[in-house]
Amino acid sequence: MRIQCPCCGERSLDEFTYYGDASVTRPNAFAPTAMSDYHAYVYQRDNRDGDHRELWYHAAGCHACLVVTRNVRSHIISDVRIAREVARERDAAALPGSTS
Amino acid sequence: MANTQWVAASAFVEWRDIPGSSVSVTRRDDLTMANLGVFEGQSDKVLEVIRSAYGIDLPRTPKIVTARGTSFLWYGPNQWLAVAAREQNRDLELELEPLFSGVASIVDQTDARAVVEISGHRARDVLAKGVPIDLHPSAFKTGDVAITHASHIGIVICQMDDNPTYQISMFRSFADSFAEWLFHSCEEFSN
Ligand SMILES: [Zn+2]
Repeated sequence: MRIQCPCCGERSLDEFTYYGDASVTRPNAFAPTAMSDYHAYVYQRDNRDGDHRELWYHAAGCHACLVVTRNVRSHIISDVRIAREVARERDAAALPGSTS
Repeated sequence: MANTQWVAASAFVEWRDIPGSSVSVTRRDDLTMANLGVFEGQSDKVLEVIRSAYGIDLPRTPKIVTARGTSFLWYGPNQWLAVAAREQNRDLELELEPLFSGVASIVDQTDARAVVEISGHRARDVLAKGVPIDLHPSAFKTGDVAITHASHIGIVICQMDDNPTYQISMFRSFADSFAEWLFHSCEEFSN
């Protein structure tokens, strides 16, 4: 498998470290439901067919964390983005008054 | 007291030269280096400082640019490595620090990284045995930089000229491990 790093270009898998599911968001530790929220965040995965969003860290390259959209049946990677930018867009969208 | 000129010991201890003309290897113990790390939201200011002090734009892609005896290598998003020959006791940390107050951190790398140059018409073949990226001239040219690994050792590789000459740096403590791989890789091209 090769990943097209937005910073470095296409690199082989041995330059990257898998950092887990990119679709989950760390829950609020102070919410009354924190215990069950964290159980879901850490352990519960759907294991669906098709596209997965995964975090990959370019450990032997630019050290960017990436959100990779990979089809687990075909291994075809349809999208790679810098995780920091994905997180910023998500946080901006979650702000009060945001329309999205 | 007489003036004492201190000379740092080379990071490459188990060094040997490669006989023959197809590939040559050189230790670059004569460099001063500093890392430039941009503070949050300050990248426009940093680019402006470099533009006015050196007359160049810092590369936003993996490239090296050189002006006024100082090279800047792309070193990851919003990071660069400044490299210069240590003539006239130059010290890049001291030179750059005053320019970037409040907009970027400058950290000395002179003794942190070991640098070697590999040159000659078989240099590409030597490196192909351990460097996973494509160094064919159609894919990697003079002025190109890559952060990758060689024989499992993290390196920054840069093509300096069309000979080709490659400048490779790694963490200092890996210098002899890298050199051991390099000498083995050069073996078939020496005579
Ligand atoms: Zn990268």
